[in-house]
Amino acid sequence: MKSQKTQSAINTYLKETGGWVASQLEACTRCGICAEACHFYQALGNPEYAPIWKLEPLRRAYEQRFTVAGKLKLALGLEKRLADSDLEHWSKIVYEACTVCNKCAHVCPMGIQLGPLIHEVRAGMAAAGVVPADLAEATEKQKTIGSPLGVTDEMWRERIDWITDEWEAQIPVDKAGAESLVVFTSIELMKFPDNLAAIAKILNRAGENWTVSSTGREVVNFGYFEADEELTRLFMYRVFKAAEELGVKRIIISECGHAYDAFRWAAPNMMKVPKGVDIAHISEYIHHLWKTGRIKLKEGAFDGETITFHDSCKIQRRGGIIKQPRELLRVLAPKSFKEMTPNKEQSLCCGGGGGVISIKEADANRYAVFEMKIEQLQEVQAKAVCMVCSNCRLQFVDSVGHFNLPVKVHGLAELVSRALL
Amino acid sequence: MNWTNILNFSRGPLLHVAMIIFVAGLSYRLVRVLLLGWARDRAKNKGSKLWGVIVNYLKGLFVLPFIPWVRRTFRHNELTFIAGGLFHLSLFLVLVFGTAHILVWKSLWGFGWKGLPTPILAFFSAVGIISMIVLLINRLTHPVLKMLTKFPVWINWLVVFLPMITGFIMARHLWFRYEVIFSLHLISVSLLLIWIPFGRISHFLFYFFSKTIHGAQAGKRAVTP
Amino acid sequence: MKEKTIYEHLREKGLSRRDFMKLCGTIAGMMGLEFVPPVKALGKTLGQSPEEVVAQALKTKPKVPIIWLEFQDCAGCSEAISRSSSPLLSNLVLNDIAIEYHETLMAAAGFQAEKAKEECMKQFFGKYVLVVEGSPTLADDGIYCTVAGKSNLDLLKEAAAGAAAVIATGNCACFGGIPAAHPNPTRAVGVAELIKDKPVVNIPGCPAIPEVTTGTILHFLIMGQLPETDQLKRPLPFYGNTVHDHCLRRPFYEAGKFAGSFDDEGARKGYCLYKLGCKGPTTYNACAGLKWERGLSYPVQSGHPCLGCSEPHFWDGGGFYQGQSAPIIRLDKGSTANLVGVGVAAGAALAGLNAVKKSRAKKDLRKDQSQAPGSEPGSKKEG
Repeated sequence: MKSQKTQSAINTYLKETGGWVASQLEACTRCGICAEACHFYQALGNPEYAPIWKLEPLRRAYEQRFTVAGKLKLALGLEKRLADSDLEHWSKIVYEACTVCNKCAHVCPMGIQLGPLIHEVRAGMAAAGVVPADLAEATEKQKTIGSPLGVTDEMWRERIDWITDEWEAQIPVDKAGAESLVVFTSIELMKFPDNLAAIAKILNRAGENWTVSSTGREVVNFGYFEADEELTRLFMYRVFKAAEELGVKRIIISECGHAYDAFRWAAPNMMKVPKGVDIAHISEYIHHLWKTGRIKLKEGAFDGETITFHDSCKIQRRGGIIKQPRELLRVLAPKSFKEMTPNKEQSLCCGGGGGVISIKEADANRYAVFEMKIEQLQEVQAKAVCMVCSNCRLQFVDSVGHFNLPVKVHGLAELVSRALL
Repeated sequence: MNWTNILNFSRGPLLHVAMIIFVAGLSYRLVRVLLLGWARDRAKNKGSKLWGVIVNYLKGLFVLPFIPWVRRTFRHNELTFIAGGLFHLSLFLVLVFGTAHILVWKSLWGFGWKGLPTPILAFFSAVGIISMIVLLINRLTHPVLKMLTKFPVWINWLVVFLPMITGFIMARHLWFRYEVIFSLHLISVSLLLIWIPFGRISHFLFYFFSKTIHGAQAGKRAVTP
Repeated sequence: MKEKTIYEHLREKGLSRRDFMKLCGTIAGMMGLEFVPPVKALGKTLGQSPEEVVAQALKTKPKVPIIWLEFQDCAGCSEAISRSSSPLLSNLVLNDIAIEYHETLMAAAGFQAEKAKEECMKQFFGKYVLVVEGSPTLADDGIYCTVAGKSNLDLLKEAAAGAAAVIATGNCACFGGIPAAHPNPTRAVGVAELIKDKPVVNIPGCPAIPEVTTGTILHFLIMGQLPETDQLKRPLPFYGNTVHDHCLRRPFYEAGKFAGSFDDEGARKGYCLYKLGCKGPTTYNACAGLKWERGLSYPVQSGHPCLGCSEPHFWDGGGFYQGQSAPIIRLDKGSTANLVGVGVAAGAALAGLNAVKKSRAKKDLRKDQSQAPGSEPGSKKEG
């Protein structure tokens, strides 16, 4: 049965289907190689987790509405129109078994951008309102309260004050005329305050003129997880507005992958962005500070236990910040830093990104995926692992606890701050 | 109706109609996709798009297909990589360096080139046919491929396989009278040409879209594609 | 009066018995009688060798009269017969074994000749062999080819009525030949398409190999029936294999060594002529075995690709020097451009429809979203 919500989904697909989407859908040869790249398919063996299968609603909407071949298939009864049940079925697949990590695109012999296309599939789901309840709830919280974790303005202030006291790190709030606006995630604020404090310390040591904003205080974008265009825009708008009001030159995205992806690559294409404001990820900015000599690091501060680096899908594979964290780690732990394989743009996703970690029903999925990560960790006998994404870090911390692993999980900023000279 | 007439028919009007459908159909499809509109990407580049595209093509056409085992995913699905690669290689060699095919290109474009020795071509066409059979078995057994393969995909396989097997039998002078198998080869080729604008075999065209997009996306983000 | 047998006739001419047996062997060998199943069977039951079968026939059977008609032709097949590689044999067949009416070769002319033919047809009604050279023409009741005021259709029907068998020699008589080339203005057809009530055998070729024509006549004479034929009514002993099957350049084909032009290194070395348009693989004829000019050579041996002259419609099968695999009808630049134009137009038309659908989808979505709460200023899309 096709209802109003399915119609909204189809309308979204039609709206999003330009030549960019269509040419890639046409290019697929049904070879199935993308399945071998997908950590969810690899870990769980469900053929429906094959990335190309996740595009099925988009492909069907496109072919049935825009192409003669698709209409022919309908007429011959080879294919059915999209129905509510289809949306619900695929909603579980695209939200609970996909981190939009885009590894499949690097494996696809045709180079199809499966990640962004799955994002479009999610957009239809969001328009139809067929989003997993947990994810929808968090999004709603971000819309009304301002943070997916439900951090209210007061809580935020209290927390910032507490961190300032506890770690003795100055955190300027709403400082007009600052050069950099640093936007943190609620995850850092609530679960990894050490990381937040570390970033503050590093920036202070470098003499950076920076601030945080009490209005644009959340960098995480649950609208982007959901792929709801309006909400994505709204959440970014809050930050951009704050940046304009404070008159900053750059927005520094703290350790969050999806947020970086949204601000750096998606925002200019979907909304008005303030002119002359750079978007930088904290890891590339710390690297920049170190490279320009504004901070000095103690060489070999973490030599000893084997430490490895986890590449995040949105920051490394889709963000290109590949060599900066490595250069830093080679300074911090020249002897004991070891690479996992595969790494860099071919790395294996943590399994918690793309909103998966916020969905309770997907827990089994992400633990199964993490077992592959454990194998990787054990291959290099890592005692510690470092990363530049709070979402990954949350998944690591949670899963390491779940599996009782003797592995320490660090944020890169935290390591850098401890090695500051 | 005798086979000489059928041969003349399939070399003449049938192939002609097939080529008409092929050319018109593909340009139709291309234009339909192109005119769906292309949004400009306003995000600032981190790296060079062009460089990404070049590296992507070099890797995709000349490096990775010949050393598929360097990919991690190879281990999960060796058959698709090896048989798929060998199929495309042999298809390329036979179509481009088969003497009979060179004559076709020559009649269409006015110039020809030297072919490969027959035993080499025979070897590769056999490799191509075996790869096709392996790919079929793979498609019949692999859970993901089983699910992805719908009716049109079987047609894809069939219309590619028929010209290959009839061409091989013809070139080796096996079993059939030459004009019979020659006619069958041409009929199957016509079928293939007619089917291409409707099916996914047209990926040889859209490959250049998706491959360029991937290269540009990676290059723009300063990532190795 | 009892008719004289061929043997008696030959003895009268002074042929010794020894020469006669030699001749029988030659005939048997040339006809490939050893491979003709009825002869093999007959020979076995009688305990005779093929030449003994031939001798037996020549000793017991009278001469066979032949009426040779020409329609739309070039007389090339007659020429070929008269300059046959084995003049002895054709001479023998046409003068000693058979008597004939032949418009080109006979000494008589005009009414005399016509009268001779009529008499022959009357006298040997039901016994003579009708050989046709050239294609009958159907258009306008056959007026495009008339002899002595009679249309070729009438002539053919008249002559075929009393024939024991009909032999069509040359591609024109068999399949219409050059006169039937597109657009075939005279509606030339093969003899077999008009004569349905008599046994017809086709000896195609341009011209037909003389030995094949005479061999087929001999076969009829000796066996009393026409040889076994293929689908196109061609005698299997001569048309059982392709020119390619027996080609002396075949090893080069197998090795993939081809002449690229008539004067290149490959051509000088005698490489395969496939690339120069050779139709050998699809051409069934005895060229490579019997050859021409006393077995001297044949086109492929002399460096020219086979034209496929023993096949129907060889004249309309694309250029003679165009590779066989090349399409007959080519898409030239102009028609390709037109086709692309058609495709582009169709694609653009559908794209227009799709654009309409797309904008409607956008409008519907906007309607939905304006009802949804929580839209803030600035969340509006730019542009």
